[in-house]
Parts: sequence; C-alpha cells; structure tokens
Amino acid sequence: MINANLKASYGADERVLDNRYKQGFVYGMIVLLALFTMGANDYAILIASKMGLLLIAVVGINVLTGYTGLVSLGHGAFVAIGAYAVTIFNNVFTGTLPAGIMPFLSVPFAVALAAGIGIVVGLPSLRVKGLYLAVTTLSANFIVIFLIEQEVFAPWTGGMVGLTTNVPNILGWELDTKREMFGLIAVVGLATILMAQNLIRTRVGRAFIAIRDRDYSAEILGISLLRYKLTSFAISAAFCGLSGALFAFFYARILPEQFELNLSLELVAALIIGGMGRTMGPVFGVIIIVMVPEVIKITFGAITGDAAGMAQLRAPLQEIAFGLLLVVFLLKEPLGINQITDRLLRAANRWPFARG
Amino acid sequence: MGQIAQYAINGLMSGAIYALIAVGIVSVYKATKVVNFAHGYLIMFGAYFYYTFAVIFPGMDWAPAWLASWQPGWMTEMREGLTMFSPMGAVLDWAANLPRIVFGLAGALVCNAILGRIIERVLMRPLMGQSVFAMIMVTVGLISILSGGAQLIWTADADFVPTIAPNTPLRFEMFGTMIFLFGADLVNMVIALLMFGGIVLWVRYTKGGIAIRATAEDQSTAYSMGISVPKVFSRAWVLASTTGAIAGAILATRNGISPSLGLFGFSVLAIVLMGGLDSYVGVFIAAMSVGVLEAMTQWKMGGDWAEIVPYVTVLVVLIWRPHGLFGQKEVERI
Amino acid sequence: MKLNRRSFLASSAAATAVMGTPMILRAQPSEYVVASSLPLTGPFATAGQLVSPALKMFEALVNEDGGIGGVPIRTTIEDSGYVPAKALANYQRALATEPNMVMYYGDSTGFMKLVAPELKGENATLMGSTSFASDLANPAENPYQYLPGPSYEDQVDILLQNIKDAGGTTVAFIFSNTEFGRDPIEHGRKRAEELGIKVVLEESTKPQGADIPTHVTKLAQSGAEHCILQGYVTGVWPQLIGGARQFGLPTQFHGTFWGMEKLIADRVTAEAGPFLSGYSGVMPYRYSYDSADAPAYQRYAAFQKKAFAGTPLENYMPTWGLQSLASLNLGIEALRRVANKGEEITADRAAEELAGISDFDMGGFFGGPVTMKDNKIGTGRVYTYDAETTLFTPSSDWLTV
Repeated sequence: MINANLKASYGADERVLDNRYKQGFVYGMIVLLALFTMGANDYAILIASKMGLLLIAVVGINVLTGYTGLVSLGHGAFVAIGAYAVTIFNNVFTGTLPAGIMPFLSVPFAVALAAGIGIVVGLPSLRVKGLYLAVTTLSANFIVIFLIEQEVFAPWTGGMVGLTTNVPNILGWELDTKREMFGLIAVVGLATILMAQNLIRTRVGRAFIAIRDRDYSAEILGISLLRYKLTSFAISAAFCGLSGALFAFFYARILPEQFELNLSLELVAALIIGGMGRTMGPVFGVIIIVMVPEVIKITFGAITGDAAGMAQLRAPLQEIAFGLLLVVFLLKEPLGINQITDRLLRAANRWPFARG
Repeated sequence: MGQIAQYAINGLMSGAIYALIAVGIVSVYKATKVVNFAHGYLIMFGAYFYYTFAVIFPGMDWAPAWLASWQPGWMTEMREGLTMFSPMGAVLDWAANLPRIVFGLAGALVCNAILGRIIERVLMRPLMGQSVFAMIMVTVGLISILSGGAQLIWTADADFVPTIAPNTPLRFEMFGTMIFLFGADLVNMVIALLMFGGIVLWVRYTKGGIAIRATAEDQSTAYSMGISVPKVFSRAWVLASTTGAIAGAILATRNGISPSLGLFGFSVLAIVLMGGLDSYVGVFIAAMSVGVLEAMTQWKMGGDWAEIVPYVTVLVVLIWRPHGLFGQKEVERI
Repeated sequence: MKLNRRSFLASSAAATAVMGTPMILRAQPSEYVVASSLPLTGPFATAGQLVSPALKMFEALVNEDGGIGGVPIRTTIEDSGYVPAKALANYQRALATEPNMVMYYGDSTGFMKLVAPELKGENATLMGSTSFASDLANPAENPYQYLPGPSYEDQVDILLQNIKDAGGTTVAFIFSNTEFGRDPIEHGRKRAEELGIKVVLEESTKPQGADIPTHVTKLAQSGAEHCILQGYVTGVWPQLIGGARQFGLPTQFHGTFWGMEKLIADRVTAEAGPFLSGYSGVMPYRYSYDSADAPAYQRYAAFQKKAFAGTPLENYMPTWGLQSLASLNLGIEALRRVANKGEEITADRAAEELAGISDFDMGGFFGGPVTMKDNKIGTGRVYTYDAETTLFTPSSDWLTV
C-alpha cells in the first residue's frame, strides 16, 4: 500500500518529484543506468542508444502534442536541423575554437536554431488546427529535407551524399566509443525527462494544458495563444534539435533521408503508444517502438532458421506490426501504456481493497 | 509559347488524375469526417490488383490463351506489314490486350471495393465520434499495414502493366513548336474527368448522394431522419476505394507499378486541403493548378523541384486562407 | 608429459619454430563470418533476392576449397530494404554479435558512404558492396572499401568514348534522384565537354514511379542523339525507352552496370514488345552464358543446376550475382593471402593484401587477369541487347580506363 503522500507545505507540493516513490524510482534508474553503461554488451548498448536518441525527440513531441494538443507530423525535420547544425557549426569553427569546448557552443547553437525554425513552422498553428496543422507540418518536413538535399547548400550540408560528423570532445574527453556516447545520451535523456516534468508544473506548462483542453477558453482566461503556442513549438523543436545533435555525435555520418516522414511518424507513434501528456509516456513508447522490431527479428530468425526465402518476409511483418500497434492502441487504449501501468499501480496501491 | 502549351497540357493531364484521387479523400471526409492519410496506399492496392488481374493471372497456366493475348484472324491480317511503332500497331496491340485490360479493371474494382469495406468496418466504424487526432493517426497506422501487406503479397518489384487505351503518339505543331502527347494519357484524362463529374452529379442528384450530404451536414439529424448512417459510411469508403482502383490502374500504366505509388497520397492530401476539404469544385481547381504548376516546375527547374510543389503551395494557401480556397469555415462552440 | 593447454601451446610453438613458419599466437577461430546486407525488400528487392542464393553458393564453394586457411566461412544475410540507415544498423549489430567477422558485404552507395567514417580502429572491416560509386575507390582515405570493377564514372567514360567513336555529337543524361543516380553526372558533364559532345539535357527522375511522359517529352524536345541512363535497377529505364520508342524518337540509349540485366530486359520484351533492341551499355563482366573461357562460371553453372533447380538461377546467373561473386572472390583472396602468410586476420592486413592483388586470374569474370588499382578494377566492355535472341552480345573489346 502506497502511503506517506501527505504534504505539509506548499514547498513539498510544488517539488518536481513530489513523493518518495518518485524520488526512489529516479535514483534507482540512475544507478541502473550507470550499471548498464558499464556492464552491458555492445549490442545492448547499441539498442539502448537508439532508444535514448528517440526518447529525447519524443519528449519534445510530448510537449507539443501531449501537453499543448497541437498535432505535428513533421518533427523529423527538427531532428535533421539539430544534426546538421551541430555538424556544420563544428566544420565552420574547427581551428578557431578549441575542440574541448566546441560541444558547449555547437549544441546550444543547434538547439537554438531548431527552436527558431520551430517558431516559423509553428506560425500556421495560429490560424489552422488539427488536421490542417498535421498537413502543414508534414509539408514543412518535406520542404526542409528538400532544402538540405539541394546542390546550392551542398558546400555546407553535403547535399544528398550527406555529411561526415565529428566526434564530440568534452573538455578533452573524446567520446569515440558507442559506450561513452551512450553515457552522454543517458545523462541528457534523463535531464530532458526531468525538464519536461518540471515544465508542466510551471505557469507555462499550465498554460499549455489549458490550451490543449480548450483553446478559446484558455484565451478568455487571458492566456495568449500566440505566445504559448509558439513557445510550445519552440520547446518541442528544441528537444528534437538536441536529439538531432546527439544523433550526429553518435553516428559517423548523417544522410538527409534518415530524417524523412518515417522518422516523424515514428516519433508520434511512440508517443501515442506510450501515452500522451504523461511524463513516462515517451519512455514506454520508445521502448516498444525500438524493441518490437528487434523481438520480431529474433523470434523470426529462431522460427525460420535463417531460411533464404523467408528473410524477405521480415521487413513487411515489422512494418505491419508497427501499424497494428498504432491502430490497436488508438482503438483499445488511446491513453497508451502509461494508462495500463497506472491501472496496475492503482491496483497495487489499493490492494487488498478495491480493484481497478 | 509552344513549350508553355506543351507543359500546360501535361499538367492538366496529371491534374485530372490528382482530381480523381482527391475525390476519394473528399467523399470519405464528407460522409465520415475522417481524413484518410492512407488513401495513397489504397490506390497502390488498386494498382497491384490491376496488375494481378491483368498480368499475373493471364500469365498463369490455367488461363485461356485469349485472355493473355487476343489474336483473332482479322487482327493478324491487319498486323501484316506494319512497322513496330506505327500508330496502327499501337491500336492493334491495345486491342490484343483488351480482354485482360477489362478483366484487370473489373478485378481491381471488385477487390478494392472489398478492401475499402473491410477497412471501414474494422478500423473506422469503432472510431465514430473520436478526436480528429485519433482518426488521423489510425489512418497513419493503416499506411504501414497496407504497405507492409502489399510487400508480403506482391514482391516489391517494378513491372509493366498494359495501358488502358491505345498508346498512339500524337504530334502536332502549335505556336511553332512540336507538341508531343501520348494517346493513352489523353484517354486517361477523359476517364478521370468523366468519373469526377459523374461522382459530383451523383452526390448532388441521387438519393444515395443526398444521404451522404445529409450525413455530412449533421450526423444525428440524418440518423433521426431515417438515413442509415453506417450504410452511408461504407458507401463512401467503397466509392473512395473504387475511384482509387481506377486512379491506381492509370498511375500504374503511366509510371510503372511499384510501392512508391502510395506516396501520391500525400501530395493529393495537400491538394485536397488547398481546395477545401468538403468542396468538389475547390479540389478540382486545386488539382488542376497543382498539376500545371508541377509540370511548369518540371520544365524550368527539374524533377526534384516538382516533387515539393504541392507542399509549398499548400503552405502558402493555408496561411492565406486557413480553410482552403473553397472550404467551409467550421463554427466551433465552446 | 601430461598434455595440458599450456604444455600443448608450448610444444606446438616450439614445433612451429623448428619448422620455420611464423608463430600463430592466437588460437584460430572455428569459423570466419562474412556478413552482408542485401535489399531483400524495397525498390531493389528483385536484385537482393537473386543475389542472396549466390552468396550461399559462394559459401559452399569456398568451404569446398578449404575456406580461409583451413577455417570454414559462414555467410549471414540481413535485409536492408535499400535503406542505408537499416544497413548501417545491420553492420553495427554484426560487429557487436559476430566476433569472427572478417568481411562485410554492403548493398548501396548510401550505405557505403554512411559507414565509411565508422571504419576505424577495431570497428574496421574489409568491405565489398554492390555499388560502383566513384568515391568508394579511394584507398588513401578509406582502404577497406573496394570496387569489383570500374566506377560509375569510368563506365560513363567508356560510354562517352563509344558515343564519340560512333560519331555522336549530342547526349542526354537521365538519372534517378539518388546518390546512385547522381554519382557520375558531374564527371560525365566534364568528360563530354572534353570529347566535344554536347550535353543537351540533364534530367533527374524519381528512382521508381517516375513521371514517364513528362521525362520523355523533355527528351524529345532536347533532340538528343544519345541518352545515358544511370541509377535504375528494375524499373524506370525500360519505361523511358519504351516511351521514347512509342514517340518514334531515334535516340540511342545506353546504360551502366545496374541497367544491364538480361532478366529485366527479357521480362520487358515479353510484356511490352521488342523495343529494347539496340540498347547498349557497359558491363565489367562476361554474361553467365558466355562461359567457354570462364572456368569459374562453369563451376557455378554446375552448382546452380544442382542446387537451384526450378528457380531462375538454374541456368543463368544474373549480372548482379556475378558482381557479388566477383567482389567476394576478391575479398576472400585477400583474406587467404593474409592467412597463408600465417598472420592474424585484421582489416588492415586484408586491405594491404587486397591493394596488392595484381595479374590475378579470376577464372573468367573479366577479359583477362586483373589488377587492383586504387581499389578498383578499371576494365569493362560494351554490350548490346538483341530482343530476337534475348542476349546481350559484346559490341566492343575489353576496354581499360
């Protein structure tokens, strides 16, 4: 039975982790992640890094879609902007800035640029909503990728051929193995989740939620739609830009086609499956989105025993599974896995009394 | 000037096909308020069904010979002495293919109609009354299911399909420039326009069409007036999937058959929003203008620029007119 | 003497020292792994699905010959869907799970460029691929990747030279809007200028589902005598040629390696008529039916008859399969040379041996013995398709770039 939730002061009520179980969970996760970083094998590190990169972007989407209620099918573009900005910044300033402090300048630059472009892309959100916004953001994604691929910008972006990225160097510590990179991703990922959790207890976060619940009512209450919708776009784009910057650090080379519509849809799907507007939603969603194809791959390999004719069936099956997950969750559990875990926790909490 | 005419005609021809695709999205939206992001993949299925019935089945051992290639005596006689790419030869090639073209179109129509009904029953009906976001995302999930399904059934292979009309080249001079056109493209355009017009008239003047319009206006009132709303839903989906089957078959003959046909759905979605979701006229104008604009871009700036034309125009139009050129502004109550 | 591990190692080390062969310090693994990514799905699925049995055949034949220095090899095939990021994930997974991986076989220009900067230190692996992209033949920057033939730029050079020799004055480039399609275009433009051939059209198309009528219209209005197609595998190029023929255009079409497959040409001929007659292009290898002077081909044919009865591979090996076999043969040769010197197989040593391959008899893939120069083999021949016999027949000598 969960107890000791009594709050004796406003200070206690306003804390980010407002009960001991949450604190215990977070500290426990930190210890587990540290152990994982040191002990896991290369394959596990690879998978976990992918989850981490995706997670940061999904947290961003969550701010926009989950908290503010604005739909975007184009956030892959901001991941692209983050990845390209950090690399281009590095290429331009190599030699003039010391390598050890470069990430402390290039990453903020990439995040700021993504946020700035986020505001531009968010402008139509003042006039259009729902479906129309989905299509304008989708269009923005196509256009951003198209511009990156253009020959005109090829001296900076590399065009279709892509761009070789650089190894991040944090105060002389070169993160040139995947394991070290995972350490960085885990730290940043944890920080973004805490930041998002913090955001929704502030004035800005409450304004977002008011807009999500009913934008006209929010406006009547004195919340400036212009300001907060654009803030929401900027914050979510900034998270995606951060994810892109780490993406560029993690992989040795980036190609424009990695950031197309598929990535945008994957981000939104992870959010829906995990649970919109919940702090842990993105975590659950990302785990499912990354693990399901891996599990299909492993079980499929075990069943067919690498038979030559069968391998070609796997990718379509993975694609169908992705679609089915999305559809089934929307039809049967629109609030995502977070809702399921909530139900389980609640049952545990009340046990042995009322269920459900 | 002649060049402009050439590309304007090219643009109108692809615009007509866009309009035919768009009609499916608009009809489903009118009846069910669902915007189908997966419509392009429904078209792709139509194209693959056409391919199955017009190429794969006639090539099987059990198929009668006349289905694969119809060669009556008079046709063989007429073929004597013709050079390979003569206009008459093209017509005769078409005539020889006629049985399997008809078989293919019929098969595509029937199979796609069944597919549309299944999607409506299984995925869309449980979503009645859900949020716009949920409905959009279900169709997004449908994209993956359909494209994965197509890869399972048909290998992701590019292939040829027989053209619906004789592909005689047409050449004539206009403003001092040679204009090149494919006969099949002109026929495709006529088919697309006739179907578009037919559907608009059907929705306007028949009982079934009026039921769709009444449902679009107010679902619960339509219900209480004795209109079977579920039937309207499935009718709209069948309409969308059958027009999609024809559009898919046409696209397959123009561009070859491949899973990338599904991507047409996204550019057409942009066109539909540009025209206004519930306005056939607006969508028609948008489809034609995007077609022409795309052809002009293709001419002046090359193929890759043409690909983003629909997306740029939709952004511009939506910022200027948030509900499209002819769309109705929704009245929201708090 | 009680034989335990230590005394065994000591005595065998002593024995090898006595025999004068170099010492093998590390125990040999029980197998070597040649991992690969192939497009089993996606736009180039046909190619991937035909190449994957060829890889299995290669495994069987290499092991018949004693593997690499007596150690058998095992091939693994993963699906990439022709998406570079997926192929990269496959490679990283193989690195993490296969400690004995000695070679990797990749599947696209995009992947090879994506992975190139990762090939450093312990992540390096000898790497062949299905791509002939010009950037991959750059031993100074990247010694681990190589081409089993001429680069796309070399192939376009050969075509342009051929056009020049045939008295052509204008040429059009039509290419898919991918790295694969764009690879030789800039170089081709320069080369055409040097040869005095005018480039009247440069048209990029979608890699599949391209808007054929519009592209053909542009080609018609450019009035090009010759047209070079690049960046297509199974689709688009036949439709473009078909459209041009229906328009009655006299343009002559030329392709590079990936547009030269007999299976595709035959299928198009069966479905849409004999319009591909006269289509010509560069091919680095003999076609599999030209096996009289190619003992390797005869051996493959015997194996195919037995193992692939009832499939398209029974009597014919697609050019795509031949390319993979050539690439893998070169890689295995380099690995064997390392093993035969009794050294531990590392990517660096393999790359050194690979670069040193010269006057090597491949058993008939190429016109004669081959030499690796700049990590590529710059020879090829122009073939022309005949729709009557459904064969590609040589229309030039073996040319070296």
